Amino acid sequence: MPSFVPYLIHTLFPPDTRQPTELGADFMILVSGAGIFFYLQHFKKWKWLWTEWLTTVDHKKIAVLYLVSAVAMLFRGGVDALMLRTNLALPNIQPIGAVEYNEVFTTHGTIMIFFMAMPFIFALFNAVVPLMIGSRDVAFPRLNAVSFWLFAFGALLLNISFVIGGSPNAGWTGYPPLTEIAFNPGPGESYYFMSLLIAGIGTTITGINFLVTIIRMRAPGMTLMRMPMFIWTTLCTAALIIFAFPPLTVALGLSLLDRTFGSSFFTLAHGGMPMMYVNLFWLFGHPEVYIVVLPAFGVFSEVVSTFSGKRLFGYTAMALSTVAIMFLAYGTWVHHFFTMGAGPSVNAFFGLSTMLIAIPTGIKIFNWIFTMWGGRIRMTVAMLYQLAFIPTFVIGGATGIMLAVIPADYQFHNSYFLVAHFHNVLIGGTLFGLMSGLYYWWPKMFGYKLNERQGTWAFWCFAIGFWVTFTPQYLLGLEGMTRRMYTYPLGFGWHELNVISTIGAFIMGAGFLILVYNIYYSLRFQDKDLTGDPWDGRTLEWALPSPVPEYNFARIPVVNDLDAFWVMKQQGVTLASSLRAEDVRELELPRNSGMPFILGLGFFIGGFGMVFEWWPIAIFGGLIVVGSLVFSAFDYNDRKHMPAEVIRQTEAGLGRLQA
Amino acid sequence: MSDSLQQHESSEESMEPGLEFLAPKFESEAFPWTQIMGYVFSLVLTFAALLLVINHAMAPTLLLAVIIVLALGQAGLQLGVFMHLRESRGPAWQLLPLALAFFIAFGLIGVSYWIMLFKTGVS
Repeated sequence: MPSFVPYLIHTLFPPDTRQPTELGADFMILVSGAGIFFYLQHFKKWKWLWTEWLTTVDHKKIAVLYLVSAVAMLFRGGVDALMLRTNLALPNIQPIGAVEYNEVFTTHGTIMIFFMAMPFIFALFNAVVPLMIGSRDVAFPRLNAVSFWLFAFGALLLNISFVIGGSPNAGWTGYPPLTEIAFNPGPGESYYFMSLLIAGIGTTITGINFLVTIIRMRAPGMTLMRMPMFIWTTLCTAALIIFAFPPLTVALGLSLLDRTFGSSFFTLAHGGMPMMYVNLFWLFGHPEVYIVVLPAFGVFSEVVSTFSGKRLFGYTAMALSTVAIMFLAYGTWVHHFFTMGAGPSVNAFFGLSTMLIAIPTGIKIFNWIFTMWGGRIRMTVAMLYQLAFIPTFVIGGATGIMLAVIPADYQFHNSYFLVAHFHNVLIGGTLFGLMSGLYYWWPKMFGYKLNERQGTWAFWCFAIGFWVTFTPQYLLGLEGMTRRMYTYPLGFGWHELNVISTIGAFIMGAGFLILVYNIYYSLRFQDKDLTGDPWDGRTLEWALPSPVPEYNFARIPVVNDLDAFWVMKQQGVTLASSLRAEDVRELELPRNSGMPFILGLGFFIGGFGMVFEWWPIAIFGGLIVVGSLVFSAFDYNDRKHMPAEVIRQTEAGLGRLQA
Repeated sequence: MSDSLQQHESSEESMEPGLEFLAPKFESEAFPWTQIMGYVFSLVLTFAALLLVINHAMAPTLLLAVIIVLALGQAGLQLGVFMHLRESRGPAWQLLPLALAFFIAFGLIGVSYWIMLFKTGVS
């Protein structure tokens, strides 16, 4: 046996990663990996995988890729949550000990925010934004694929950490000095910094891409004040991403330098300032919570309008409050660390700015309610999530205002009250919004509805499970239980509440299983939707067939009003009924490219080398990255022509071409 | 070079009177000398700052002042050479969001400075 093999085994699989759960995970990964490999091999699907998915630059397919990753990551983050809750329900047995508990709550937070919520949001952006604004694609299709592959390989890098080398364990925020190499040796935290840096590049590119798409590529006649509300929230989200991610990149990059190259930006020694990391992280972190909740607001605005059969109430106020939230989101970040002791004037300023955000958010809540007022409401699954969202988010917002009261925050800080609050807004706002969007736009993405009956069951599991989980956590916080505890003495009166909370978590887990079965069942047995408009929709994406052809619009529509498709239906002139053969012209579409995948792979290899400080591998990965960029810069063969005849045949086959 | 200039002039001549401000202004050199020189200069500025700091070349305050000047030079270089600041299709719309970006960036930096002063009555 060569001498480097024991070294490799010791480095890649330290004792930490040889516990039963990790070995079980290793086994599952090997089995499922082998299963996928033999499936692709047996059915000769490799070429299909490469040409249809890995090299695609079509925003609709990229949306599917994002969605699959997001659901997979929801599974991983959800399993993490169940492990945490099990440990807290059994404080004397502790199925996972203190060390693993730290790792699991770290990956739970990191994965749920960066690798579940973000890709889920980008799935919805990619699926509908170009369709809603009457465009054939996003502004930079190849960069869109680059975004996805950077996200995917960043997520992969974080996810392999728990079986290869060891998980990060300093919380999803990664504060120094907990992340310093002196106090936290091993590759875990380097994995965290490297994977978030890689995924962060992809996210920034997505922000730029959708901002430019919405500014430049709207159909003729679609002025800013005729944009659907989801487009407004996408626009503001993209603007938030562009300004919020650079501080995160700086904070993560400097931390990585501290760990790997011995610099002292955030160290306690040599004049570093750990609190500067906290400041930079939340400079990103607060806009981030609006990055994940604004798209949900957009989804709810579309859903409530469609299923109430009414135009959105107070459209102008809704648009303005979205913009107001975007600006205010930049001015509240200190409320994540009031107890740092920055001084009364700083805390007072940020306490007030935090409370100020309640005003535009309240405007939105009232407008959604007034949209339903007097409407003919259809209780679809998407609408159920909207109805559950309103009371849930109002209570989450109210506890947020309690946390913004600075003297009270000194009591609530880092307690389960805080944990319950942010889960209340993140699940009640973001997750319910994403679920609502999933059920609403699924027929547009795949051409059939998800089964509504099973969807209702999943909804009730999520909604009831949510309240059973988090109501006890508010009480636990008031009784003094702090966050990130792996165990507690039984005499404190916390045990019963923790058991109830754990039961709730398992109800939500059951909801997830029903959701997955719902997707599987609907894929097999649901009828095809031939109309393209199963919900009697109001915006332009419903004017297209489902699933949408590669070129989206055979002819770019002209928009005369808000709710463009609704107005078209009222006037009896839809896109299908007015398309004549001579309207169809040859189109120029982006050509598939393997560059984004190779680029992501280069980042992955380089990142892996950086994590283990194996410099030849890091440099090799870096060379792949530079090579892909240089190749892409000189690759002028990046578009293809689609003849008018092909489009005519496609449209005629869908019964959308008038003779 | 002269060819591309000719094209620009002809395209401006073909504009309707009163709409000259809409004429596109794009760089179209045959070989991107500007960009290559910009790249070299940006590397020079980066390594100048790094070397000054590593070698403790000056007193700390002076050092900070010098690397801030170098950073501003770097930012100007990036914007001017690589971010298409001087190019536009019609009026220079990009200046408006750029001004907003500067407002937000310097606002965040200024407030961060205020926070990190720790002017606290508690501790």
